[in-house]
Amino acid sequence: MISRSVAFVSGLLALVAVSSCSAEPDNRDFIEHHDTIYNSLTVEKRGPIVELRARARGGEALESAVNLNDPLLPVVAYTRSLYAALFVQPKPERVLMIGLGGAGFHRLFAAAYPESLLHTVELDPKVYELCQTRMAFKPTARTPVTLMDGRMFVKRNRETWDWLILDAFRGGFVPPHLKTEEFYRECADRLSDRGVFVSNLHATSQLYFSDIKTIQAVFPQVLLFETTGRGNVIAIGVKYREPDITNPANWARVESLVKPVFGGRLDLAEIAQERVPIPTAQMRNARVLSDDFAPVEFLDALKTNNSDGR
Amino acid sequence: MTIFVFHAIVIILGILSMGFQLLASRLLSPYFGSGIDVWACLISTFLAAFSAGAMLGGWISSLEAGLRRRWQLGWAVLAVATLAITAVWGRGLVDSIALGLDPGMTPVLLSCVVLFFFPVTSLSSFMPQCVQFLASRGTPPGKSSGIVYGVSTLGNIAGVMLTAFVLIPHLRVSTLLQVWLGVAVVSLAALLRLLRTPSLP
Repeated sequence: MISRSVAFVSGLLALVAVSSCSAEPDNRDFIEHHDTIYNSLTVEKRGPIVELRARARGGEALESAVNLNDPLLPVVAYTRSLYAALFVQPKPERVLMIGLGGAGFHRLFAAAYPESLLHTVELDPKVYELCQTRMAFKPTARTPVTLMDGRMFVKRNRETWDWLILDAFRGGFVPPHLKTEEFYRECADRLSDRGVFVSNLHATSQLYFSDIKTIQAVFPQVLLFETTGRGNVIAIGVKYREPDITNPANWARVESLVKPVFGGRLDLAEIAQERVPIPTAQMRNARVLSDDFAPVEFLDALKTNNSDGR
Repeated sequence: MTIFVFHAIVIILGILSMGFQLLASRLLSPYFGSGIDVWACLISTFLAAFSAGAMLGGWISSLEAGLRRRWQLGWAVLAVATLAITAVWGRGLVDSIALGLDPGMTPVLLSCVVLFFFPVTSLSSFMPQCVQFLASRGTPPGKSSGIVYGVSTLGNIAGVMLTAFVLIPHLRVSTLLQVWLGVAVVSLAALLRLLRTPSLP
C-alpha cells in the first residue's frame, strides 16, 4: 500500500516536473494556457513563430505573433496596415498605443523610429509579462508600458500625441467603453494639431458600421484600409478638414517614408492599395455608439452579409 | 385580485433589482471597463444590499402597525430618492470618484456603494414585508417565504434577460434609468397601499 502511494506521488512529481519544463522559454515548441483577471490566453510556439491568442466567442482570436528569427517582421497582417498612418502623419515622434498584445507593432516601429516615443497602455499585467518572457519584447525608455485601463489613461494624461492607436481587444472584441463617441472625443483632445487617430476594426459584424459612424461623428475626415482577407480594417481619423486627406495626392510620398528596416518586412505601396471606400449605404441604419448607448456585444453578434467571404 | 396585484409587484421589484445591476455595469463601464474585477465589486455591492435590505425589512415587519407604516413610507421615499440621484447624477458622481482617486479597486467599490447600495437596500427591505403580508393572511410563514422569494427570483431572471437582450440593445441607459425610476414610484406606491390593507383577525 505504502509502495503504491510512493509510486503515485513520484509519478505526480515527475508529471509536475515535465509540465514545468515544457513552460521553459527554450528552443522547444510549447503551448501554455493562462487565465487572468481579464483574459483567457494561449501562448504557442511552433518553430520560430510564437503566437498569443485569446479565447473568444467561437474559438480563439489571434492577438499577436512574433517570428523569433526576425522579431522586427510584423507577422500578423493588420499590424502592417497600421503604418497607413504614415501617409497622413509622416513624422510620428510621439505615439500612444492602447493595447500591447504581443507587441507585434512595436518592434519594427522602435527600430524604424529610434528617436520616437512609443508609449503603450495595457490593462492586463499577464499580457505584459508574457510579452516580455515569451514574445521577445524589451521595453525601453522610448517604448514604456503603463498598466492601466486605456480610457482611464487618456482621461488622466495631459500630453499630446502624433499617432494615437487603439488596438485593445479582450477575447476577440474591443470593450464597449473604448468604442464610444465620448471616448473618441477624449482621444481627439489628446492629438496634436496634425495628429492621427488609428483604430483596428473588425469588419465582420454590424458593429463595424456603427464603429465607422461613431468615428465619423468625431473626426471630420476618415480613411479605411482593409487588411487583405483578414477581416481587419484600419480606420484613420483626423480632427482637421484641410488638407483633404481623402485625396491620395495629398499623402506623403511612399518613397519618402521608406526606412531601411522596412526592407522585406513592410511594403508601404501595397498598404496604400488596401484603401477601401466608406461603406455609406450599409451605414445608413447604423447608430452612433455613446457611453449612454453602446450595445457592442449585441451588434457584434449580428454578422454582416459579406462576412463569409472574409 | 389583491393577490394577483401583490405577485405582480413582487415580480416587478425582482425585475428592478437585477435589471438595475446590468444598468449599473453600463454606468461604470466608461470609467472602469467591464472586467471581472468590476463585476466582483458590483455583485458584492448588490449582495450586501440584498442582505442589509432583508435584515432591515425583517426588523420593520416586526414593528407595531403605526410605526411600521412610517418606516415603510420612509424606505420607499429613500428608494425613489436614491434611484433618482443615480439616474440624474450617476455619471457625474462616477466621473468625480474615478478621476479624484488613484486607479484601483477603491474608486470602483466606492462608486458601487454610493450609486447602487442604497436604492437596492431600500427595494430589498420590502421582501420580508411581503412575506409578512402573506403570512398575516393565513399562508403559513414558511410557505409565504417560499412564494415571495420564488416569485421575486423569477422577476430577477426576467429583469436580467429583458435588460440584457431587449432594453440595452435598443434604448439609452439614461432613458432606462428614468424608466426604472418611474416603475419604482408606481410599484412602491401600490405596494404601500397593499401593505396597509387590514390583515385577517
